[in-house]
This record gives sequence, C-alpha cells and structure tokens, in this order.
Amino acid sequence: MNQDAGTSRPELPPIAEPETATGRPSVSLLRRRLRKFRTLKRGYYSFLLLLAAYALSFLLPLLVNDKALFVRYEGQWYFPLWRYYPAATFNQPTLGEPNYRDLAQTFRQQGGGNWAILPPFPYSPTESLLDLPGSPPHPPSWQHIFGTDDRARDIFARLAYGFNVSLTFSLLVLAISYAIGITVGAFLGYFGGKLDILGQRLIEIWSSLPFLYTIIIVSSIVVPIYIPGRNLVLQPSFWMLILILTVFDWMGITYYVRGEFYREKAKDYVGAAIAMGASDAGIIFRHILPNSLTPVISFAPFLIVGNIGALVALDFLGFGLPAPTPSWGELIGQGMENLTKWWLVFLPLAALFLTLLLIVFIGEAVREAFDPREYSRLR
Amino acid sequence: MTGYFVRRFLLIIPTFLGITLAVFVVMHFVPGGPVERQIMRYKMAVATEGGAAAGGISADIPEDALEEMKRYYGFDKPVHIRYAQWLWNLVHLDLGRSYIYQDPVWDVIKSRFPVSIFLGLTGFLLSYVVCVPLGVFKAIRHGSRFDFLSSFLVFLGYSVPGWALGTALLVLFGGGSFWNLFPLGGFRPDNWEFLGFFEKIVAQIHYMFLPVLCYMVGSFATLTILTKNSLLENLGQDYVRTAFAKGLTERRVIFVHALRNSLIPIATGLGHVIGIILAGSFLIERVFNIDGMGYLGYTSILQRDYPVALGILVISSLLLLVGNILSDIIYVVVDPRIRFR
Repeated sequence: MNQDAGTSRPELPPIAEPETATGRPSVSLLRRRLRKFRTLKRGYYSFLLLLAAYALSFLLPLLVNDKALFVRYEGQWYFPLWRYYPAATFNQPTLGEPNYRDLAQTFRQQGGGNWAILPPFPYSPTESLLDLPGSPPHPPSWQHIFGTDDRARDIFARLAYGFNVSLTFSLLVLAISYAIGITVGAFLGYFGGKLDILGQRLIEIWSSLPFLYTIIIVSSIVVPIYIPGRNLVLQPSFWMLILILTVFDWMGITYYVRGEFYREKAKDYVGAAIAMGASDAGIIFRHILPNSLTPVISFAPFLIVGNIGALVALDFLGFGLPAPTPSWGELIGQGMENLTKWWLVFLPLAALFLTLLLIVFIGEAVREAFDPREYSRLR
Repeated sequence: MTGYFVRRFLLIIPTFLGITLAVFVVMHFVPGGPVERQIMRYKMAVATEGGAAAGGISADIPEDALEEMKRYYGFDKPVHIRYAQWLWNLVHLDLGRSYIYQDPVWDVIKSRFPVSIFLGLTGFLLSYVVCVPLGVFKAIRHGSRFDFLSSFLVFLGYSVPGWALGTALLVLFGGGSFWNLFPLGGFRPDNWEFLGFFEKIVAQIHYMFLPVLCYMVGSFATLTILTKNSLLENLGQDYVRTAFAKGLTERRVIFVHALRNSLIPIATGLGHVIGIILAGSFLIERVFNIDGMGYLGYTSILQRDYPVALGILVISSLLLLVGNILSDIIYVVVDPRIRFR
C-alpha cells in the first residue's frame, strides 16, 4: 500500500510526511489511525456489520415477539407490546394474555374491521410452543426455520435475543473492568515504588486464582432470580454475574496501562504539567491517559471475545444467567444431552462463531491500525 | 542473575500463601458446605420417614450431633486456625482426606495423573509440531493463497472455544445423526486390559483423537500467529538484509539466520509445559467425559469436597508459579541479550 503512494509521487522520499510537504493541515495521530482502520476493509466492514446488528437487536421486541404491535378491536386501539390486556378484552375465552397469533387469525376469519399487526417473526424466545405436532425438540421447518429446543421454544428467537444478551453482557463487563483496571494500572505506573511492588504482588495472587472454579463457588451463593416481564438488564442476578466476571477480568489491562504510564511519565509534557501545578489526578487522567490509550483500544475486542466465551461456558455448565434467559451456552448444553438433535448444537455454535469472528476481524484491524510497524519482506 | 532467580523463587512463598488463603476463606464462607450438606441429607431422611410418623419428629439435628459433625469436618474452629492447621499439614505433605471418596487426597489426585499428563503432553507436543512449521510457512508465503486459506483456520481457532468445537465434533462423528467414527467419550475402551500392544495404540488414538484436537484449538491460533509475526518481523531486520547482500541462499537466510531469532518468543512458552500437563481444561474433559484433573476439580467443587479442591489448587498453582520462572530461565538461556536484575 505504501509502495503505491511512493510510485504516484516519485519525487518524495518514502519516509517524509506528505501532509506537511503538500501544505495540508497536520492530522492527529488518532485520526490518522482511524483513517487507517477505515482502509482495512475486512475489519471496517465487520465493525459496521456488528454495529448495525447490535443496534437492530435492541428493536427485537418489534421484530421477534409473540405480542401484537397494534390491535384494532371494535373501533378502539390497543398496544399489547407496551401494555397488558387480559384475553377477555378481546372477547377470548382463555385466561391471562390472549394468544395474539390466534387472535389475528380469528379477526381475519371474522373479517369485521378488527385486525392485529404482529411482528414479522411472531414467536417469543421464552414461549413454549406446546401445540406443535410431535415432541420437542422439533427439527427445523418452514415455520420455525431453526427448529425448537427441548422446551419447544423457537431457536431462532432465542438465538436472536441471545445475541443481544451476550453482547450487552460482554460490553458491560468490559466497561466496568476497564474502569477499574485502567485506574489501578495508572496509579501503579504513575506512583511506582512501594505501591507498585505491593500492587503487582496482589495482582499476581489475584490472577493466579483459578478463574472458573472461583466463579462456580461464587455463583453458587447467588440464588438465580428471574423476574418475568422485567427487562433483563434490571435483573439482580444479571448484575451479580457481571460483577463476578469483572472481579477476574480487570487485571489484564493493568499490565499494559502500567507500562504505558511508566513510559509516558518521563516525558516533557508531564514535567510541564507538574510545573503548571496540575494535581496528580489531573496529570493521570487529563494528560497521560489520553496518550496511553493504544493498548486500551487494541485490547478491547479480544476482551469482548473472552467475555462472550466465558458467558457461554458458564451458561453451558448451568452457572450462567437465570433459566428462561435466551442464551447460546444453554442451548449447546441441551445439545450435549440430545446428541442426535444436531440443530441444538450447530446453530448456537454458528451464531457464536460468526459473532466472535466479526469481533476478531475488528480486533485484527484495530491492532494493525494502531501498530506502527510495517511488515516489509526484504527481497 | 542467580540472585534474581533466587529472589523469584522466594517470592513464590508469599504468592502461594495468598492464593491458598483467598480460596480457603471463600470456601469457608460459601453456603452449602459439607456440614450443611449433611444437615440437608438428615432432614431429607427425616422428611421421608416422617411421612409415616405424621410429622411427629422434629427435623432439627440434636445440638451435640451438630457439634460432632462440625468437628468431623473441622468447621468448629475459626477460619484462621483452620487455615493454619491445613498449612501445617501441607508442610508435612498431608493434604487430608476426601469427604466423598474417603481416601487420602493425594491418592485421589494421583489416580488422575496418567489421564491428564497424557492429554496435556500430547496436545502440547502436537500443537508445537503443527503450529510452528505452519507459522513459518505462512510467514515465508506471506500474502499467498495458502496464507489466506490457512488464515481461515486460524480465525476459526480464535473464534470457537475448544470445548464448544468438541460438542460439534461429537454430534458430527459421535454416531448421533451423522458419522459414527469416534466413541462418545471416555479415556480408554472397557476391554483395555485384554488388548495387545498395537491394538492399545490404535484404541488410544481412536479415543483421544477428538479431545486432543480440541485441546490444540486453544493454542493453535495464538501459536501459529506468534510464529508467523515473529518470523516476519525478523525478516525485515537489517541483519537479514546483510545476509542476503553477502550472497547467502534464501533457504539459509530464512532457516538459519531469521528462524533462530524468531523462535525465541516461542521457546519461552515451553516453561509452562509443566503447568499445561495438569491444568487440563475441565470443559473439554466434561464434554468428552474424561476423568482427568480438570474434571476432578470441577466435581470436587460442586460436591464441596474441599480437601480435594484445595489439593488440586496447591498442585496447579505451584506448577503455574514455577512454570512462570522456568519460562524466564529458558528466555535467558536461548537469548543471551536478555538480562534480569
């Protein structure tokens, strides 16, 4: 890529910065890296695709759900997605909430100005489809393209919601463990000395604890609580699991941030900041931290991959998110119990693989964009 | 330099104490410990019998029996005294008795050694034998079609955890709905004792092919890319330019000059071989139903068999800590430019 630029402007030596030479304004390092990232097509498009899919997954209740979006009944509007209506509201004989798929069909048959609009994929991830012929798990069919699991819940719906759950979970763990890890690493690197030695010993002890053992011990304290009808993010056990994973996740970044701070604190701009009377916290967070974000950013995709992997493993073992939560690991666990039902294993694995692959592609591109070294083969 | 490593070895002691103390304290305070399990079992027994007695018997355990039970499991003393006692026994090489198996912990753990060592060592050796040449080849053919296609395998390794791949392989080759090529799990066939020498080899490969493959997936991606990048970096160095300039053949430059230097970061991983042998992934062992160390540790935690869980922790953390130092020693040995102070 560099060679192309060199051949089009042969008068310039390859090392010189063409920006200043041609009179264009200088570009910040971060912006140049972002520009480089955008040229790395595989990573950049993976990033866009993942971003779009994740944004779309927040609209899943509108797309994949068993509740109708709008119901027009006897001249009145109803919004079942946002409000609970007992079946009697629509003159249905059943108790509790009406089955909106049946309701829509009844309305169509009656043809009397009543109608209901359902999401394009009208099945919920936590709904057991007991009226399907045969016994669950059902193989993929035209109606349920990915089949159903051992409780007759639609797998496509569970995978789609599971995508949102996995990514949300992983991003939250990342954010919290970064907040802790960066702060600790920054303090160790900035103050150094006895604090550094003591802190490093503690981190070594902490990181030598067997990760999965301890999670199992700790998560056995936590009584799984799942409150139906409440958003997953508000569930106490969801946050408990995030907390537990964070406890083991925050150390990875401290090594890198500590190293960056050791290097950066010797530079002139830090001396200038001290001479201006900046406080320690000001120097750490306002002056040095913005200059040592390289490992923080390039480490993030791989931490996300690790978090998703850990969540899937915990769900597989039955120590993960509480029971009806749509989860990939739980499906793989079901597949282990029913080895002849291939769709229980392959489909969640494919979802896991594709998601992690996109993130790995992003991670590779970020690393390349942030890595100043060019691999040039001699000869 | 010797002083540095002596200090490193001495630092093992406080780190080891910290690790075991942390796990010990967590285990002490986690609910569902052995005493509570016994109480539960007692209550269950009373409840089933009490159906006949119409609830006449109280489900509470007599006070003295409870004390007796706590003393049996050592839970009658405060945690720091229990830890000191456990440590004292450990120094005398006594890991205690398993609550579940009623055997000395060391015997229980020892019985799993052959399985774990076999799996760990095979996986470790095979991944070096496969990944290093592959990485070298990818570096030499950087940007070629082979490089591109094999990168797909590497990304697969990055993106699928070994145990998860194991479930897919079992569905595919375990005789469920596709091919019946490999057994569904276990370490060796039941008729192992009656097999001849060559039959044993065939049977062992037959049983271990899929698990070892899954073990390798974990290190495959990182090791291959490490080798490739390391060699690529060296190929861009000035001494390679010099070597080419003085007219050496490409083969000689790559395999004698560049490769030797680029194997340095890979050699340092060798120190962890002693840890890898026992740190076996309990997830893979669970998927393939193999009774190794990892699976033992997992079940001992689930069943609150604390002496066994702590025994495994002692062994694995010591191996990990020694392995770290060993890696640094190897680093110094293969690269004389490195100096530790």
